[in-house]
Amino acid sequence: MEQYDLMVIGSGPGGYVAAERAGALGKRVLLVEKDQFGGVCTNRGCIPTKSLLNSAKQYRHAQEGERFGVKAEGVSFSLTDAMAWKEETIKTLRSGIEYLMKANKVTVVFGEAKVVDAHHIQVGETTYEGAYLILATGSSPFVPPIPGAKLAHVLTSDQILSLTEIPSSLVVIGGGVIGVEFASFFSMIGTKVTVIEMMSEILPMMDGEFAKLMRRELKDVDFHLGCKVEEITAEEVRYTDAKGVKQAVPASLVLMSVGRRPNTQGLETLGLDIDRRGVVVNDRMQTNLSSVYAIGDVNGRSLLAHSASRMAEVAVANIFGNKQMRMRYHAIPWAVYGNPESAGAGITESEAEKLGIPVRSQTVQMRANGRFLAEHGKKASGLVKVICHRDTQVILGVHLLGPYSSEMIWGASALIEAELRVQDVKEIVFPHPSVSELIKDACFALDHTL
Amino acid sequence: MAQQVVMPKQGNSVESCIIVEWKVAVGDKVSVGDILCSAETDKSTIDVESTAEGVLLAQLYAEGDEVPVMQSIAVIGEAGEKIELSAPAAQEEVKAQETVVLPETKTAPVVSSIPSVPAQGASPRAKALAEKEGLLLDSIQASGPKGRIIERDVVAAKGQPLSALARQTALEQGLFAPKQGSGIGGRVLAADLAKAPDTATVASTDEVTEIPVKGVRKVTARRMMESMHSTCQLSLHAWADARALKRLRAGFKASSAELGLAGITINDLVLFAVSKTLLQFPAFNAHFLGDKILRFGHVHLGVATDTTKGLLVPVLRNSDLLSLKQLSLQTKALVAKCKDGSIAPDDLTGSTFTVSNVGSFGIEAFTPVLNVPEVAILGVGTIALKPVEDEDGDVAFIEHIGLSLTMDHQAVDGADAARFLRSLMDNIAKIDLLLAL
Repeated sequence: MEQYDLMVIGSGPGGYVAAERAGALGKRVLLVEKDQFGGVCTNRGCIPTKSLLNSAKQYRHAQEGERFGVKAEGVSFSLTDAMAWKEETIKTLRSGIEYLMKANKVTVVFGEAKVVDAHHIQVGETTYEGAYLILATGSSPFVPPIPGAKLAHVLTSDQILSLTEIPSSLVVIGGGVIGVEFASFFSMIGTKVTVIEMMSEILPMMDGEFAKLMRRELKDVDFHLGCKVEEITAEEVRYTDAKGVKQAVPASLVLMSVGRRPNTQGLETLGLDIDRRGVVVNDRMQTNLSSVYAIGDVNGRSLLAHSASRMAEVAVANIFGNKQMRMRYHAIPWAVYGNPESAGAGITESEAEKLGIPVRSQTVQMRANGRFLAEHGKKASGLVKVICHRDTQVILGVHLLGPYSSEMIWGASALIEAELRVQDVKEIVFPHPSVSELIKDACFALDHTL
Repeated sequence: MAQQVVMPKQGNSVESCIIVEWKVAVGDKVSVGDILCSAETDKSTIDVESTAEGVLLAQLYAEGDEVPVMQSIAVIGEAGEKIELSAPAAQEEVKAQETVVLPETKTAPVVSSIPSVPAQGASPRAKALAEKEGLLLDSIQASGPKGRIIERDVVAAKGQPLSALARQTALEQGLFAPKQGSGIGGRVLAADLAKAPDTATVASTDEVTEIPVKGVRKVTARRMMESMHSTCQLSLHAWADARALKRLRAGFKASSAELGLAGITINDLVLFAVSKTLLQFPAFNAHFLGDKILRFGHVHLGVATDTTKGLLVPVLRNSDLLSLKQLSLQTKALVAKCKDGSIAPDDLTGSTFTVSNVGSFGIEAFTPVLNVPEVAILGVGTIALKPVEDEDGDVAFIEHIGLSLTMDHQAVDGADAARFLRSLMDNIAKIDLLLAL
């Protein structure tokens, strides 16, 4: 029987990073993947959506370039070419992961892993033995039992990425990150998009003020908030609106994006603690079985690719190295890559209120910023909000809506992780002109003293 | 002819270096440029190269020794060469100088006869860093040669850096900063400060037993803290003539079983005296409630009782109305219930004054903690012989019992407490008269 120091199931941003890091430490690592390298992130999530959104943004820029002195005629959008670009991107990234596994001497086995016990897994006829096991099996789109949910034109985020024709109308059920990104994409390429959200606002992790502006900025998308979808038919989506009135909206295509479920099936035999969110882990990513760790979506603690990668590092560190390392969640950045982009790190004001943390905040308009003005004009909208503790002035949250948000937000995470205070951030020199300067501006708005 | 290698000069500011590690052993061959040893200055670590070729005949200083620059540290010559060496006075501590005659054999120890600075102390680099970080050298665990504190010890003691907020919070609130925090790279964050010191920093885990604070311990902890926080406690100590107590106790013990008095203890007698005395001092049979004081018409005496679960205080209701025999029987019944765990919660509440007796352990006096909201508590100590001068000027050793009265100065004054205690002393001394009342 082949023996390993570590066995990893799943090669998404959790699993392959775990294998890579452990391999780099000189450990004997087995990585089992049932489909393709990269998991949902590379194949059906982060990367394909960013490819497509880039195509749509290019299209939008071409259409709107006239005021910047760029006249383009006969601009059109080819979904086929956009999909081809997306596929090429995915393939390149997959081969990158393949290279990383080779470079770190990770043994890769393709096939469905059957977990025998905490130290044995079976792929096909072969049984492998390992001292430690990391579960990185990810999550899958959740399809609620709504009548009509199984109709052919009702797709999940997995299936919609293989679309060959631009739909005339799309109803997105669920206004979370996935729903909003697809809504932004399809609305940019000419589809009539409607988002139906059960909660009173889209993007639950977003500051309320920002979510409202986001809806306004997605001007071609109709939002129906506080609505419950009752039934999907071949022609329309029927729902009850916030006032209890039955409504319907026509849909040639429906995207079901109400949430994701951890892939815990097949793990039952292990005797793992599994709760509503997924496999229960401590802040070292260890499950109730001391040699079994669970990282990424399957533990349900933070359904983000970069969270999964960090969890991988925390797990591998605790298995082979730094046992002091713990997963911290309070500064994990999130980003929504629509048009416009938005991103955040740390708490919102409403979360602070729930937690009983006294805070102060300042919001600054992006149009007050040189670079933003040069590139978007004075009518465009964008916001930067900085939230600090009322008494200690320590930065607790940063929220961005506007261009480059996703590229700037790591800095906010660093501020929060380092526990910097408003007065500390004011001492940092930000590049000019850059949209990031607004973070410093917001800090001076919180405290104008030098 | 043997040559000497000196500790090289390191710029103008370095006056001495500490030899961290000898890289070459006595008897080893060395060439010019070979590294003889590493040495630590207050700014960096340097390698001392050999300036001669041959065999290392002697190391003139041991690892950890501080050597002034330009001082000889090693002797290099031909194998077996006899050298007569007058080691220069390297340090003030180095008083005696010896002529070292090197033996022929390679393995013979040489350095042992070389005087060196005493063990302990800290390297200049370590001192400079400790000063910069505000660390006391006394508190740093040494790992250098001969128990010397070297730079890495200071680095280890320094721990991880504190975040700006953590530093501010630690200063403002005087909180403890663990060496390892929960932030990036183990940085200490403000939230880490609130935590109690990690037990691992106190002792290795196998020496530490963790006991959760719960049950009676938790109640006692809360009540005692509440008492110390909410009252102004003052204790007075006195001795009462215990001859009457002893005499009565002996009498009860010897009495006929039919009377049922044999079980009456000294403590019962004290409780009896306290109950009667309190009637004359209502200010001490009272509760202090901040904006008002409640005085009670009868005495409900708390009797501090040591049980396996912890301290319990059952209440002897209307103790002022009880005969000594009744008081003794009821006290015994309450204490028995406390010990076997059958005491009812109602029997543990409503006392107006408490007595705590630790006399059986030989304790003379102590400062009992108020059983809030009571105004006072009496601690009873051991019976000991005290010299007393009688009317004829003769000194006699007379048995006395220790009494410690803690009172809440918010409710009563020291003179009130002194008067109460004085009266109690008299009543105990004349307990037989009190019994007749």
